Amino acid sequence: MLFNSYIFIFIFLPLTLIGWYALNYVRAYEPAKFFLAGMSLWFYGYFNIYYLAVIIASILANYLLSFLLKFSHTALTRRIGLLVGLAINLGLLFYFKYYDFFFENINAIFHANFNLKHILLPLGISFFTFQQLSFIIDRCTQKAPHYSFADYITFVTFFPQLIAGPIVLHDEMIPQFDDLSNRRFSSDNFAKGIVLFTIGLGKKVLLADTLAIPVNFGFEQTAFLDTPSTLLVILAYTFEIYFDFSGYSDMAIGLGKMFNIEIPVNFNSPYKACSVKELWQRWHMTLSRFFIQYVYIPLGGSRKGKFGTIFNTFVVFFLSGLWHGANWTYVAWGTMQGLLVIWDNLGIVGVKGSNEKVPSRFTIPRWLGWAFTFSFFNLSLFFFRSDSMANAFQMFKNIFAFKETGYLFKIAAKLDIPEFYLAKQMINLTNPELLSYAYAALFILLLIISAMILTRKNAVQIVNEHPLNSRLCLFITVIFVWSVISFSQVSTFIYFNF
Amino acid sequence: MSQKFIRNFFITSGLLLLLCTLTVVVFDPFFQYHKPLPGLKAVLTDKEYQCTGSLKTFDYDSVIAGSSVAENYNNGWFDQNFGCKSIKAIRSYGATADLCYLLDIAFAHKELKYVFYNLDPSALSADPETTYALTGCPMYLYDDNYMNDVEYWLNKDVLMEKIPYLIANSFMGDYDENESYNWAQWKEFNSDMVLGLYIRKPSVSEMKPENYYEELLHANLNLLTAQIKAHPETEFYIFIPPYSMMWWDNIYREGDTDAYLYNMEKAMETLLGFENVTLSYFQNDREVITNLENYMDILHFSPDINLYICESLKKGTHQVTKDNYMESLKDMRSLADEIVNKLIKPYEDKIKVDLYDH
Repeated sequence: MLFNSYIFIFIFLPLTLIGWYALNYVRAYEPAKFFLAGMSLWFYGYFNIYYLAVIIASILANYLLSFLLKFSHTALTRRIGLLVGLAINLGLLFYFKYYDFFFENINAIFHANFNLKHILLPLGISFFTFQQLSFIIDRCTQKAPHYSFADYITFVTFFPQLIAGPIVLHDEMIPQFDDLSNRRFSSDNFAKGIVLFTIGLGKKVLLADTLAIPVNFGFEQTAFLDTPSTLLVILAYTFEIYFDFSGYSDMAIGLGKMFNIEIPVNFNSPYKACSVKELWQRWHMTLSRFFIQYVYIPLGGSRKGKFGTIFNTFVVFFLSGLWHGANWTYVAWGTMQGLLVIWDNLGIVGVKGSNEKVPSRFTIPRWLGWAFTFSFFNLSLFFFRSDSMANAFQMFKNIFAFKETGYLFKIAAKLDIPEFYLAKQMINLTNPELLSYAYAALFILLLIISAMILTRKNAVQIVNEHPLNSRLCLFITVIFVWSVISFSQVSTFIYFNF
Repeated sequence: MSQKFIRNFFITSGLLLLLCTLTVVVFDPFFQYHKPLPGLKAVLTDKEYQCTGSLKTFDYDSVIAGSSVAENYNNGWFDQNFGCKSIKAIRSYGATADLCYLLDIAFAHKELKYVFYNLDPSALSADPETTYALTGCPMYLYDDNYMNDVEYWLNKDVLMEKIPYLIANSFMGDYDENESYNWAQWKEFNSDMVLGLYIRKPSVSEMKPENYYEELLHANLNLLTAQIKAHPETEFYIFIPPYSMMWWDNIYREGDTDAYLYNMEKAMETLLGFENVTLSYFQNDREVITNLENYMDILHFSPDINLYICESLKKGTHQVTKDNYMESLKDMRSLADEIVNKLIKPYEDKIKVDLYDH
């Protein structure tokens, strides 16, 4: 089920909230947890019942392992438990996400002929696998207790963060579910939850989905793009991916608040960062936290000398790239990020006023650091968005071809959004030649609005700092209604043959 | 303060969403709940969204059912010739199951005098299952479940585009309600168009056996005859439209000629067994199908041909009976042979060839 769907907003969410608070009101605390987990599983299995089997199997396997670890009293048995836990979780992830990628490469390198499985990737498998992996690692290192099944299943399946994060940890979630003061309805938290959810919804539905129209067309036409259209397409994608992913995180945090559960912040205005390292402290923060806690530090972190630190940082970003998708494009993207973070860590060039412990040899103004960081991230997204390395390189070639063929107008014309319908008809009636310019202006206006939003406070800051007054209520209401009426579209059936 | 915020949010957004819903229900551009309001026209341009609604709510006593080749009929031609009030039930590809689904809706809401049924040859060998869900049609408009109509009520495209379009066409311009779903005004019909769009398969596939599509043929005929049997009071004018000779060249190269002619023979044999069926066959109309100026591609013909078909149905000039249908098919067989052996030759230099055919 999607957050941006009628069934979620008008049926699932009200039912879940009412059920949760009603059961807690009558002090049925354990049934309330099972109710929440049951509803979350409905949420998860809504599109495909087969997904449900995968997540339930994963939960049961991890919970059983956690149970068996209760009887483990030696370091050796805990180590065996860790290996089993890694095998279960990474094995599941490998099978569903990386099997084809792995054997495609084996086939290519060794001219082998392994059959590919084309397995349907269960929704959010990367998220719930990492979530459970962190728990199992903590269990094996004696940092986590064995929880009750109600606690564990509620923690893993809690629907706001189930399919796209943030990646939450057991020790920040389970105590919140157990805290009985969180089981009472709080109007303050609920109101803040509405604000956060709606801002996230607007970012996803009104901005990201609209920006996706020219972006998708542009990436389908890589060979035909000229320099300006390539630049604007990647700029639009840079905004789209942020609004999409951070919008989803805002919705998740907002939903958590409605249940009095604090879900960690995942994005902290990353495009305001003045270095790539800072960007990664603000972008998908819970993923970075996972990798630091469960990969970087166990590898030795920064305690293994300069080269050890460089190596460990590189490994983290290589894995981060691979985590995002089973394709060399993601690996290339992650590697690029890693190399720039390593460069920042070397402390040769830094930005003025940075809070690095060791001062850099040379400093540059903050605006220059920002410009470099934003441009770099922008260009690196060619790899993230492209289906293949060849397409990504084609996009780079387009930029340096320095040619202008008017393709921008063709891309902009795809922005045939209903909000523009009346203006389009008026232009058509008065001066149809201006229509392509109007679409181009609309595209550029959308980019300007996106950029302006990015310079303002982010959703979490708005909720924390802005009073819940009538002005905010009106703004949130308009965004909510506008988003809801954007869920459904009237498609054009382009058909002309039998 | 937060309680007031929550209350205001729910009341205001609830009212706004209700206002959106009321606006859609009142104007109802897909005609799911009522026919056009007084003063507004029945603007029908999105068949996937409007066919079901208009069949449920409009006043009519006859249906023009068919594929895209039936879209360019003017309802008024049928109304005048047959003394009825007709409405279109159109489905791209014209698969039998899809058209019968639309007929079910029509019969559930009205008593029909006539069904003018455009039977495409391809419909006889099409999948006998409906294709609406498969092809992404808005299924909330295809059932009687009001709950899922939320996708219609709270829909930005409907509110900001379809309703203004309905109003604008009602009060401005010269939208003709009889020309529902008509696309001919945006197209050109001439031999250059046909030759430009026909990509010819250079090789000729082995001719399939006559009964190649037998199973599908029976399933589709069962669907159609079930409608005919269930509604003996309704007169079914079933007609097979005239595709251009390029279409015959195409099916010859695909190895389908024998199977298609066999399908047609069986279909005619079956349909002519019903008293409430009048069958007309236009495929062997030499003058029409050999003149490429009548077409925009290998099968879509101009509205002049639509008018010609409608008038011929009235006059019975192309009617086939139990006594003469085999003769018509024999004639078609010899015309099909003449097309591939002789009539197509002058065009061969101008026809594009499919380079990817192996």
